[in-house]
Amino acid sequence: MRLLEEYKDLAEYCVKESRRLGAEYAEARIHGGTGTGFLLKNGEPQPSMIDDSFGIGARVIVGGAMGFSATNLLSKDAVKELTAKTMKMAKSSARLVKEPIGMGESKPAKRKVRVVEKEKIEGGDPTWLKSLLLDIDKRVVGLQKEGRGVKIPNRMMVASTGAEEKYVVTSDGAQVESRIPRFHFFGIFTAIKGAGAAQRMIQQGETGGLEIVERIRLRELVEDEARTLMEVLGEAEKAPTGIMDVVLSPELSGIAAHESVGHPQEADRILGREGAQAGESYLSRDSLGMKVGSEDANVSDDPTLANSNGFSPVDDEGVVSQKRRLIVNGKISELLQNRATSSLLGVKNNGSSRSAGFDREPIIRMSNTFVEPGDYATTEDLIKEVKDGIYLKSFTEWNIDDKRLNQRYIGLEAYRIRKGETTSLVRAPVLEITTPALWGSVRGRSKRLEFEAASCGKGDPMQGIPVWTGGPDTLLSGVRIVGGT
Amino acid sequence: MKAVDPEHSNRFAAQVAEKLGADESIVISAVANERMASFANSSVAVTKNVNETSQMVYIAKGGRRIIGSSSNPQRESLERFITLLYKSMLTLPKDPGYVPLPSKSRTFAGRPRYDRKLESAETLIADSVDEAIRAAESAGASRAAGSLETGVTTHYIATSSGTVGRDTSSKVLLNVRAFTEKDASGHGLSCSANVSGFRPAKAGARAGRDSKRMRDARQLKDDASTYQVLMSPAVASNLLSLVGGFASAFSIEAGTSYLVGKLGKKVASEGLELTDMGTGEGCLEGRTFDDEGQPTQSTKVIERGVLASYLHNLSTAKRFRTRSTGNAGLIEPAPWNLEVGAGDSGYEEMVKEMKRGLVLTSNWYTRFKNYRTGEFSTVPRDGTYLVENGEVKAPIKGIRVGDSLERMFSSIRLMSKEREWVQWWEVDTPTLCPWVLVDGVTVTKAYGQRPQVEG
Repeated sequence: MRLLEEYKDLAEYCVKESRRLGAEYAEARIHGGTGTGFLLKNGEPQPSMIDDSFGIGARVIVGGAMGFSATNLLSKDAVKELTAKTMKMAKSSARLVKEPIGMGESKPAKRKVRVVEKEKIEGGDPTWLKSLLLDIDKRVVGLQKEGRGVKIPNRMMVASTGAEEKYVVTSDGAQVESRIPRFHFFGIFTAIKGAGAAQRMIQQGETGGLEIVERIRLRELVEDEARTLMEVLGEAEKAPTGIMDVVLSPELSGIAAHESVGHPQEADRILGREGAQAGESYLSRDSLGMKVGSEDANVSDDPTLANSNGFSPVDDEGVVSQKRRLIVNGKISELLQNRATSSLLGVKNNGSSRSAGFDREPIIRMSNTFVEPGDYATTEDLIKEVKDGIYLKSFTEWNIDDKRLNQRYIGLEAYRIRKGETTSLVRAPVLEITTPALWGSVRGRSKRLEFEAASCGKGDPMQGIPVWTGGPDTLLSGVRIVGGT
Repeated sequence: MKAVDPEHSNRFAAQVAEKLGADESIVISAVANERMASFANSSVAVTKNVNETSQMVYIAKGGRRIIGSSSNPQRESLERFITLLYKSMLTLPKDPGYVPLPSKSRTFAGRPRYDRKLESAETLIADSVDEAIRAAESAGASRAAGSLETGVTTHYIATSSGTVGRDTSSKVLLNVRAFTEKDASGHGLSCSANVSGFRPAKAGARAGRDSKRMRDARQLKDDASTYQVLMSPAVASNLLSLVGGFASAFSIEAGTSYLVGKLGKKVASEGLELTDMGTGEGCLEGRTFDDEGQPTQSTKVIERGVLASYLHNLSTAKRFRTRSTGNAGLIEPAPWNLEVGAGDSGYEEMVKEMKRGLVLTSNWYTRFKNYRTGEFSTVPRDGTYLVENGEVKAPIKGIRVGDSLERMFSSIRLMSKEREWVQWWEVDTPTLCPWVLVDGVTVTKAYGQRPQVEG
């Protein structure tokens, strides 16, 4: 936190100077951190990467117009110049502002946010990362002996450690200091058998220290996934086509919750602010209470989950973040809000504003979005409910339209269910379905709640931000599956 | 605390590395000055101004190497950072991919032509946003959203072998989306390296016209069927810029490309030419030198439908027993700007050629089932039209296009004479691209009924 400490007064100066120049609201954020990454390609180490970045981002509202500026020249003179420029830009755009922006009344937080690290994240240097990845690679390569002709010749893995540090000050009194250490893993594995190929992307990430690797059993997890990938390529049969029951694993439940519940319930998207890039929403500002799913459809977003990839207990507008119940018993219950949208819609601000770096404005983001767990004790108990259907355990291709109404997930590890039991692996079943049809078909959920790490993209310039997606096993009743080749 | 001039900063960083004992170093500083206005509901939502100086530092010793990136340009921070890099590098084993930097030093004088008007563009931005919104509304839109970005970036290089240089590029990008009703939208782009080629009103009007034409859009009858598809430059460049990325030797080695093992083989219809350009007339990005201090060039990736070259840095070139194409990326070679060769057709002629097809003007969320096979799907949005027997019949909504890149680009029927530069949210690598008509594309729609949308 040494650098952050050094620059705190610049953030405070920036806010005072903005107010002196006439800003109705001002906010400054010292934001940066250090990180180390290591890439292993087919068992060969690539040059290690070390990042070190700090800067200041400032936002003002003047005459209903918003201005955002950022620089990494961290001197008082540079910040003074930055502040003047931000104010000038905002004022000069006022003639084109037809919908004046207000920040309303949100309770400003004063807090220091810390994450427990049993093993300091700084210990994750290039040598440590290299050893970890070589160990995983060795396990995956070892599987090929038993692969019955299936090989995994292409193995690309990136592991990274780092700490994100922030100091946020606002003109209404927020002062929030945070240090969020993270570990992240990403891998793409390609299995080949003859002319056939199958591919698995694995992403894992949490907040905390190096103990994360053991906590999530990363080595074993990747080895298991690689083994399954080989089985999928070697054994999967043609998937059936038709209307049937489908059980979604936590991985599938999570991606569906993120794409077709979290995104369309971002208030800025509903109000049109993302219209030209990430799009708008099938919902409108009057959709609270609207029925979009069955009684069993319950989806939340919780930035306070310990160890989570999307951990963000106070947002980047200096407001305490809270768990949001997005869909309760099939009805739209709450939207993701920031200062401006909650003020405009006249609702409570639930602190959803985050930015990916000092040079990016804070915008509404999900944190950890998930289907709430249900009553079925185990996955097997839920599968017992299905006479003839599909269990989608992992996925490859996925996408959704920009109103978040028309989505598709293609299964990778997927099983045929017959008479309440999983039987054979099936190849690439496609679930292509509208949002109300998906959530309207939910008939049961298991108790196990699991999460996957992801990087969520939004904003212009693009901001990728760490999140978790998750849920239990979720039973969909009577949906269309299209079998592949 | 005093910021240093980038050229001094580069020299200082190289000196620190040498003093510590490094055999080789490359320092590239980037000074970026970016401005943006975002608008929604025909109203400016935020103006942005970002001034950022960053350094990429590469150091090597005894076959070990490491890369750092820092946005702390102050001397004290830079010295501390390079010392950390050096110490970390010494803990690593020798890198099998290490290739010494060429001993020949070069001087890169930079391009004389970048648009200085884009260095201070507040008035241009405000006036152009206004112009685009008005044009969209005049063409029938009830509201417009978008972003207008200007950027001037200078890169400075210094290497331990004596290579020095600088290069400046400029660009102005407008992405505008117009709406009439909830499901009726249109999209327009204007992307230019200079103010004289920038057409905000044209982009706004195109978006506005499509938003009007998309009213009363309907769904296709079939759940899945094949169509001829006419892709606008925006849609075609989304897919062809991905082909450029798949040509990176890194993707080939990592097995994340459908172009593995296809060098010298036919991967597209004979009419397809895809060229990577480091610099050139109209290029929105790129440099005269790459991250290894090698000169960038023009590289034919696909020539008459045949995969002619992968994109290389020094390290991948050695393993592939060829020469660097000047596309470093120290780890991953990457395209700078892509040019798709022009065809000889006009838009109207291409529509007339379609028996049963779809015109796609914009798309988003392209994702792959398998990079190794190139199987993907993408979601068309905005102006999307059904064509029957050479005539545009109806606006269409709620579809998805799924195919493989190789099959699709091996089924090109026609390409247009007219080309446009494209770079926006869905196209990272600037691409000069024509309209492209392809045969036999699978189009699907989702299961389930549309809800009653309120409001």
